[in-house]
This record gives sequence, C-alpha cells and structure tokens, in this order.
Amino acid sequence: MSHTRKNVWQLGGDWADPILWYARGVKAMKARELNEGTGWRFYGAIHGIDRDLWTQYGYLSETDTPPSNADIRTFWNQCQHGSWYFLPWHRGYLIAFESIIRDAVVGLGGPDDWALPYWNYFKPGQDGLPPAFASADWPDGTGDNPLFVEQRYGPNNDGDIFVPMNAVNQNALGEPDFEGVATGGSPGFGGVSTGFAHGGRPHGRIEQQPHDQIHGLVGGELSPVQPGLMSDPDTAGLDPIFWLHHANIDRLWEVWRQNPATHVDPTKPKWTDGPASIGQRAFVMPIPGGKTFAYTPGEMSDLSKLDYTYDDVSPPGIGPSPLEARMERFGVGVAMAAEAVGRPAMAEPKNVELLGANNASIRLTGAQARTSVVLDTTVQNKLSANLRAAVTEATPAPPDRVFLNLENVRGVSDATIFDVYINVPDGANPANYPRNLAGNVSLFGVRKASKVDDTHAGDGLTFVLEISDLIDRLHLSGTLAAGQLHVQLVPRHPVSDEAQISIGRISVFRQGD
Amino acid sequence: MWPLTRRPDPLVVLGSTSLMAWSALGFYGGSLTLPALCSTQPPGTMPLPVSFDLALLLNSPAKLAAGCALMIAATMSPLMIAPLRHVQERSFAKRRTRAMLLFSIGYMAVWMAAGMALQAVALAARWAEPAPLTCLTTAAVIALLWQVSPAKQWCLNRCHRRPHLAAFGAAADLDAFGYGLANGAACVGACWALMLLPLLLAQDHLPAMAAVTLFILAERLENPAPLAWRWRGTERILRIVAARARIHLARRSNVREVSL
Repeated sequence: MSHTRKNVWQLGGDWADPILWYARGVKAMKARELNEGTGWRFYGAIHGIDRDLWTQYGYLSETDTPPSNADIRTFWNQCQHGSWYFLPWHRGYLIAFESIIRDAVVGLGGPDDWALPYWNYFKPGQDGLPPAFASADWPDGTGDNPLFVEQRYGPNNDGDIFVPMNAVNQNALGEPDFEGVATGGSPGFGGVSTGFAHGGRPHGRIEQQPHDQIHGLVGGELSPVQPGLMSDPDTAGLDPIFWLHHANIDRLWEVWRQNPATHVDPTKPKWTDGPASIGQRAFVMPIPGGKTFAYTPGEMSDLSKLDYTYDDVSPPGIGPSPLEARMERFGVGVAMAAEAVGRPAMAEPKNVELLGANNASIRLTGAQARTSVVLDTTVQNKLSANLRAAVTEATPAPPDRVFLNLENVRGVSDATIFDVYINVPDGANPANYPRNLAGNVSLFGVRKASKVDDTHAGDGLTFVLEISDLIDRLHLSGTLAAGQLHVQLVPRHPVSDEAQISIGRISVFRQGD
Repeated sequence: MWPLTRRPDPLVVLGSTSLMAWSALGFYGGSLTLPALCSTQPPGTMPLPVSFDLALLLNSPAKLAAGCALMIAATMSPLMIAPLRHVQERSFAKRRTRAMLLFSIGYMAVWMAAGMALQAVALAARWAEPAPLTCLTTAAVIALLWQVSPAKQWCLNRCHRRPHLAAFGAAADLDAFGYGLANGAACVGACWALMLLPLLLAQDHLPAMAAVTLFILAERLENPAPLAWRWRGTERILRIVAARARIHLARRSNVREVSL
C-alpha cells in the first residue's frame, strides 16, 4: 500500500483526522521509556542529544533508565548535517518515524493508510504554525495536547509562531547539481561529499535555506542558553512540528528531482552505499516489532521505490533557470540562452578560486556588523573578462558564478538569524535595499560546531551564499571595478555578547572554467 | 589544464615526497637514524654527556638532522595532505604555493625540533636502561597509556582543525606559517609516544617506523571526538576493511548467481 503525505493546511480542518491521529501516535510514543527504541525521546536522541539541555527542559532525569551503551552508539547522535547525506539520512529517519506512528495509530483503531502530513510554509496563507500545534489543549479542551511544546518561541521570540516570507526562499531548487564543493563554490543542492557527518560544513543549499531558517525561526530562543527546541539539533527532534518541517524538506528534494528531469542524485558509490561502506556508522533506525531499519542513501533516492508519495511535487513557479536568467541579463536572447544552457558544454564548472576576503575576523553583536571584502585585482580582472565574454561572444559561455563565504562562524546561540547585505550605502536602512540582499543565515548547529573537543573540532560552520546576480549588476553598472564589497550583517534581533557570535573570515570565490 | 583547485595537488606532492624519503632511508640502510647513533658505544658504560658528545663526534649534526628530516618527511608527509589542501583552497591562486610552503616550513620546524628531542630521549633511555627489552617495554607502556588518554584525543582534535586564514600580504604569510606550527605541534602531541618506539629498537627500526606510520595514518582517519579514556586508532580502518570485504563478497555472490 502506498501512503500519500498531504499538506497539513489542506486536510480539511485544524484537527482533521490525520492530525488527530498524529497527536494520538505522538502521545503513545511519549508514554514510552527513554530506553525504548520506538519511544519519543529515543527518537529525539537519534537526531541528537545534549544531556544538559534535555535535563534543563525536563526531558531527562536521574530516574530514567538509559539505553545500553551499544544502543546509544548504534542509534543516537546520528543526524547528518553539512553533508551530502543530509537528505537521504533524514528521509530514512522520517520513514522509520512514520512507521512507528502508523503502528500506534493502527493499534488505537485508526486507519492503516495514515501518513505524515507536511508543512509547506511557502504557500500563501500557510506560513503560520498549524493550529493543532499551537494549542495546549486537545480539540475537546483537555490540556495535554502532545503536539504543543512550551519551548517554541518563534521569529520574534514571543511565542507567536510563523515563518516571515522575507526570511525564506526556495532558490535552492534552481541549483543544477546535487553535489557541491567545500572549496568556496556552490555547496550544491544536497551538500558536499563527506563521510558520516554529525554536523559538518558547509551546509548544502536546501539545508541552508529553507531548512536551517525554519529551525531558527520556529524555535527562536529566550536567551542563548534557553533555545527553542527546534533551534538546536540536539533538541529539535523533540518538537512534533520537526517532522512536518522535514517532510516538507523531503518533498522539496522530490520537487528538485522532477523539475527539471536533468536534476539527478549522485551516483558515486560513496554516496549510494553510504558511510558504512567507508568504515563509518551505518544509518539505522528502530522500528516497530523490535526490528531495525538499516538503509543506504542509494535506497532512499527514488521515491517510486519507497512506500509513500506526496500529493504535490509541482515546482513553485515557472520561469527561466538561474543560468538562463543571468544570460538574458547579459543580453543573450531567451531562445539562445535556453539553447545554450542545454548544451553539454554548459555543465557546471567546478574550478573554484578565491576572489577576495576581508582582513580580520569580526564579532556579531548588537544590531549589525560591517566589514569590507577586498578583491584581488588579478582575479577580479579575470572575472570581469568572463562576464564581458558572456555578452560579446558569438557562442555564449556560462558566466562565472560568485559566492560569498562566511567562514568559521562560531557561537553558542543556534537561534541567531541574520541577513547579509552587500554595498548598502552608509547609514541607509538595509531593508530598503532588497536587491542588495545576498542571503539569510541561520546558525542552526553552531553551538555544537564550536566545541573543540567534540565531533567537529571546533571549526564552527561555514555558510556559502550565491551573489552572482549582485555581481552581474555591479559589473553591468561598472562599479565592480571599485575592488571592494561592503558587507553588512543584520540580525533579526540584536545579538547579545552572551551569544559569542564570531565570523572568522568573509571571503568571495569565483567558480568557473 | 590542471584544475585551479588541485594545482599542485598536495596528495601527489606529499605522496611522492614520502615515497622518496622512504626510498632514501632504505638506500642508506638506516644509517641516518638513531640506532647507528646508539651503536657508537655500549649503552650505560659512560656518563650521559659523554655519550652525547661521542654520538655527535661520530655522527655530525648535519647527518643527524638529515636523518631526522628524512624520517619526518617519510612518516609525516601524508598527514599534511588535508591541512595543506585547506591552505591551498583558502588562498589566492597566485599565493598558493607560497602559502603551502610556509605551512610546510612551520610544520616541519616543529617536527624537526621534536624529532631531535625524541632522538635525545631515546639515547638517554638507552643509556639509563641498558637492557633493550626493558627500555622498549617501558616505552610501549607509556605509548599505550598515551594512546588511550584524553590528552591524546585533545591533540588529535587539534590536528583536525581548519582555521580561517588571512588572504593578503604578511598577515597571510604569518597565518600559513602559524597554522603549520600549530598543526605540527598538535601532530607531535598526538604522535610522540608512538614515534619513540622505533627509535628504541636496536634493529629493524625502519619496518617498525613503517608500521607506526601506517598506524598513525589509520588513526588520523577517525573523526574528532570528545575527550575520554578509550582505545583509539584502529576502529575506522578495521571497519573499512570489513566494509570492503562485505562489498567484495556481495559482488562475487551476485556474479555467481548471474552465472548460475
């Protein structure tokens, strides 16, 4: 039987049957002990566990019987971030979780075709938290709704949960390659080649936006030591909305795969066979009946071979691809651009080189931080020549892509979110310059990534934002020759010193032939 | 044309360097290494300072340094590949060779100092404890304790660090050199006890050094981890071997099924 995951806002009511059954299933999972593989907390710990935070929020106590060391080593702290395994690992995690909820639903007399809904916050009018998650009560008014959590603070840290549309986008769907590079160029749609990566760098484009953003926007924080559950990878799996968010990310993977059909998953054995094939931990989940579900990324790739589908995998909008749009900007005709983009020669170039950098690391505190990125003259000339050729050549070539890198971002506040602007005039309000917005950054995972003596060596996170459009405009207006980019970081909320947010280096890379 | 990101490729350069160094060590029959120095006098029969003086008389400082450099180039070059790639990728194309050289100088400088110190320690140990087996056993126990200690993990975690690097001018040079020093220091911290073992062998020190090198390489495949008392170094490589064997057997099984 194939199961169809449906839009949570289009189920027919705030407490439509699929949501009601989800709540009952969550309640059943929450009733299980910490050491039960199909329990709520065990599943949260599979994503990640920080014992201090869990204890602080009442999810862990001295009376709990922990799982065996073998179970902890096999199952816990398994989530893949900053890795090309991000999408397939979470797909398997969702499938296993869905099977546990369905088993509970069926056990309670519910439908055996129950499927996990998804939250498509991009749809008009659907940017708010689904009401069943926002109420402390069940629909009958009794007050132990298992979908409600206190530690969900929202984009303004006031408990009002919604997704500001100016903080999220689906631009990742235009990324042509699944696999990216960790050398300063595009991190790809699905991330960069890694081994087992329980927090790596940099994040792939779909992981960075909207995945990371939604975590930080929904979770929020009361203070850096009081994050919302969704804001931190070590507590995120404890929030019932986590699963609907990830169902949407999983759906977007399928949207990307189908639109256009040239979007394909990696075929390298290291990806298809997963980290177990290179001597690292396997992806494995407990499922009902005392069984386990072990899987490889290759087995997660093709939705048609799995037991579920989505009710909507249509692309968000029909328009030219980012590359076509750029070529048209340079005056290449629509037909020629489309034809050129389709040629094999237009395959994504992988050569990446540093174009410029700022001179010192910066601290992000208060309402903003500014720095200047100085461009190297030689590389800048090379870039300018490439962009000129995009206009003048009889057979147009793909223009270089340009990426802003925020390297070695460290701190302790995962809920910190900021916008990155380029060349906004001094004293001006950046919000009035939306065309100068390079992108949004959410520091989901930064606390863990900043610990030296953990699995990340303390290097922090690295974020990669494509600024090709901005560079095109600077080139066409003749202002790229200034040799500098003025970068402004504007947090959603003033950042406290306690958050300890620092950016090691801000750099710019060109990716071309 | 070579891709910008891999020109010159540290894997090729350092792999070749390591192979050439091993060849040179093999060609000289180990005469450049400590056992030759130790064999200059019967251990423990004269005061330690005299032993050192005699050793330096029979083995010039240049020869000792060359032997030390060769040994470090042979054993440690492969460990520089990952940090050198980081330096390469985060530097301007025109500065890459310079930055990588500065990193290498810093890294090698630390290891040269450590290598000479290890040779002196080995000589002193052989002087203090004339029985080679006792000397070696003591060193092996120390190496084992260090291997399972949180302090070793502390060093290993720092071997995996990839810091931000300045891009322009003297600051870029200083950062590349400083990263080499820091990475070299972390590497010495992680490897000193293991590297001491072959120096205490009266013979077969080159095969022993090769074995230690392979162990260190396998150990470096493991990810950073929280500090703890535990055995480390072999888990990842054993899992790789097991995974490869499983895949190989599965393929053979599939082939057999198809042919049937």
